[in-house]
Amino acid sequence: MSTRYVGARIPRNEDPRLLQGHGLFVDDVRLPGMAHMALLRSPHAHARIRRIDTDRARDAPGVLAVYTHADLGALGNPLPKLIPHPSLVHHKTQYALAPDTVRYAGEPVACVVAESRYAAEDAVDLITVDYEPLPVAATLEQAIAPQAPLVHEDIGTNIAARYAQRVGDVEQAFAAAPHRFRERLVIDRGASCPMETRGVVASWDARAGRLDVWDSTQAPIPIRNGLAAMFGLPQQNVRVVAPDVGGGFGPKIMMFYPEEILVPLAAMRLGRPVKWIEDRRENMVATNQEREQIHDAEIAVDADGRILGVRTVFLYDAGAYIPYGLIVPIVASTTLPGPYRIPNYHCEFTAVFTNKTTVSPYRGAGRPHGVFVMERLLDRVARELRVDRTEVRRRNLIQPDQFPYDVGLIYQDNAPLRYDSGNYPACLDRALEIIQYAEWPARQGTSRSQGRYLGLGVACYVEGTGIGPYEGCRITVEPSGKVFVATGVGTQGQGHMTSFAQIAADALGVAPRDVAVYTGDTGLFNWGTGTFASRAATVAGNAVGLAAQAVREKARVVAAKLLEAPAEEIELEGGRVFVRGVPARSLSLGEVALAANPLRFAMPPEWEGPGLEAIRYFTPSQGTFSNGVHACVVEVDPETGMLTILRYVVVHDCGRVINPTILEGQIHGGVAQGLGGVFWEKLAYDAQAQPLSTTFMDYLIPTSAEVPPFEIDHVETPSPLNPLGVKGAGEAGVIPVAAAVAQAVEDALAPFDVRIAEMPLSPNRLRQLIAEVRRTT
Amino acid sequence: MKLEGTNTLPASVNTVWKTINDPEALRRCTPGLKELKEVAPDTYEARLEIGVAAVKGAYTGRLAITDKRPPTHYIITLEGSGGPGFMKGQGTVDLEREGDATLVRWVGDIQIGGLIAGVGQRMIGGIGKMLIGQFFKCLEQTLGGAAPAGGGGPRAGGDAAGSGEVG
Repeated sequence: MSTRYVGARIPRNEDPRLLQGHGLFVDDVRLPGMAHMALLRSPHAHARIRRIDTDRARDAPGVLAVYTHADLGALGNPLPKLIPHPSLVHHKTQYALAPDTVRYAGEPVACVVAESRYAAEDAVDLITVDYEPLPVAATLEQAIAPQAPLVHEDIGTNIAARYAQRVGDVEQAFAAAPHRFRERLVIDRGASCPMETRGVVASWDARAGRLDVWDSTQAPIPIRNGLAAMFGLPQQNVRVVAPDVGGGFGPKIMMFYPEEILVPLAAMRLGRPVKWIEDRRENMVATNQEREQIHDAEIAVDADGRILGVRTVFLYDAGAYIPYGLIVPIVASTTLPGPYRIPNYHCEFTAVFTNKTTVSPYRGAGRPHGVFVMERLLDRVARELRVDRTEVRRRNLIQPDQFPYDVGLIYQDNAPLRYDSGNYPACLDRALEIIQYAEWPARQGTSRSQGRYLGLGVACYVEGTGIGPYEGCRITVEPSGKVFVATGVGTQGQGHMTSFAQIAADALGVAPRDVAVYTGDTGLFNWGTGTFASRAATVAGNAVGLAAQAVREKARVVAAKLLEAPAEEIELEGGRVFVRGVPARSLSLGEVALAANPLRFAMPPEWEGPGLEAIRYFTPSQGTFSNGVHACVVEVDPETGMLTILRYVVVHDCGRVINPTILEGQIHGGVAQGLGGVFWEKLAYDAQAQPLSTTFMDYLIPTSAEVPPFEIDHVETPSPLNPLGVKGAGEAGVIPVAAAVAQAVEDALAPFDVRIAEMPLSPNRLRQLIAEVRRTT
Repeated sequence: MKLEGTNTLPASVNTVWKTINDPEALRRCTPGLKELKEVAPDTYEARLEIGVAAVKGAYTGRLAITDKRPPTHYIITLEGSGGPGFMKGQGTVDLEREGDATLVRWVGDIQIGGLIAGVGQRMIGGIGKMLIGQFFKCLEQTLGGAAPAGGGGPRAGGDAAGSGEVG
């Protein structure tokens, strides 16, 4: 197969439509007679509901219905448990509307459906709830303390799960090691802040018994399957469309959010389409969050800084419920070893309920934590042993001839953590070359003599991507010659309409612009699990490749008869199907498609059915592992505590690159989000677990003024695990940012000997850290 | 949110004590208080209208005076909830003679939740202080201190005291 388009930097198929304002986001769905929903959310982080009075709301102008838990009927059970795990003893999920207790500020208590959102919001204000405030477990440490207030009284504990994995003999390794270093590392909460918040529109056709739902989700097919089960409908009678999705970043893989049930319920009960669009303030409290973990980590090394053992024992903040199970802490503990040989490793976590918004994966999904811990430990080793920080890393890197490399752990997909391929030293070398590491001491010296505090940071990581279980694709060539690709994985800005088109175009000998890709519509493709874990290009991309190959073969078989030549001699190129070496004997691909669907007469048995169409699935037995190195130069102003990112270098290996423009876009967005989590974005809660940063006035997202230009280079080590040789790239950008910037800030502030053991930082916090050091010295 | 401060009122300890226990004075001087209905001795049902930053709203709740040690000490608790969330404040008040006047020491703790916490948290310290300041200014006028501003109406503690809108 020629690869004319795979690897090419072609413009995105979806851009003309999006740039002209022709995208379809959930709020663009406007149906005749549509009503609007608004929710009443708990102002308390923990309270018992004594009484709810909805009378005034029901009587308010324009109100069609008011629901509380008592109105939910069979839908009043706890929402589905998504990903069970044997260690997850208390798999608590929330209710669509809280029955008797609220466990985080923002938990839905009642909802109003009205003629307009305006009327619905006004009526929400007329509902009175008599709450009995309960003591609050606001922080991880409070929640695990003896006599802590219980988030879930019935289980008698705030601990949802404990889980440990180990490799080798850690105790023995630590006992025998000449050097051991310990760190306590804290990462706080952040929010994903998609440009498009969540939203749901539902429409019920009582005659057809058919439910149509538009949902800004990363998992339309599982949502469809779940809705069918909950509402007792055949799956084929429920259609869920995730049209254009304005950013997913993980929290939209969560299912079910209460609104995803309440909106269809209201539409069915009222016989009218119903819309709910999450406002920004709701998004900051009611959409899942991430990142809060406290690690007590330790490393044992020999005299040269070679790793003998690592252990981390950490607390994972699940928030009030734990629908998504233990994915985030498992990913954190299995990402920690990264590109290094760690013969003895112990990781152990406790998943803890707190009275805060529920946690589920957000871009990185535990990976930034693992990398932060590992890289901080190596920085400590370098400092204590007075070995260059990049040299410490180099001495411990897994070498190119050591693949496949078995880390010895079980990964999030329940398969062994086995790295498929990579060239870790090459990535490190390239990053150091671009950032001009060799000249750094001189450059830093010059800047210090000018009174400037510049620092350089380098961090390495391995990213698990492309996990199963499967994705599929149906490809159809229409008589127009246009190719239609339908797959279950939706797109939230990753450019699927282009990269999947490139894959199909190469196989079918057409241009990518002649390939229309449809994603995220259960009416067009029936099977799939969703867009998460940097898996779409690998899992769905290979399904596209397989389906396109099958269609190509079918086209050759059909053309063989039409062109009276053996199928092996039929070629596809430039939208034409022809006999090799005789381009004059040719048909257009559309003509072959038309001929493949005859109206009369017998069909040749070798066609095995009509049309140029095939469905194929790709079912990887394990994930593929991307890797990379980030290097940055920062400047800190010790007086203001302000951080400026001067340079940011990313060297990245995600196997074969399908489209460099799309890949670089993914990296840009990821690094920007990573930088946000390093210095600007922090979800603050007060002592009563009241969220304090529910607007963009308080929760600062980095803008183009804060985000530097990026310098990106690729190393391509194809994956041996799939035909395209690709690996995932969606989360890469965000993963090592905290680690790299922490090292750079320490380097910049070396004259003050400041230590960074937490993320995010802020100007205040940096000034505080500098002041603390000044006080003690 | 912890707040504390002192104010000097131009009257004897006994007079100040009487005034800060007088429902009429409380009604007049508590900023944003629209209704105060005594439901039991030292316990009142209250309706407040207060704006914190962009979040304006009405709260219904309860005002109670406890831990009374006349004429120098009590604890005043005010809690309310409404559309914009809830607020709960508790203040310990101690009176001390200072010549002809009375020194009022107060230590308060304000908790807010819901929309007002998410949007107005950064303002709440300043607003709390301002509201308490208005309360004492009004008491001062009641006790014959500075002349009432404007038309000398019952809510003479300044415009903000009347409307309870600040920030």
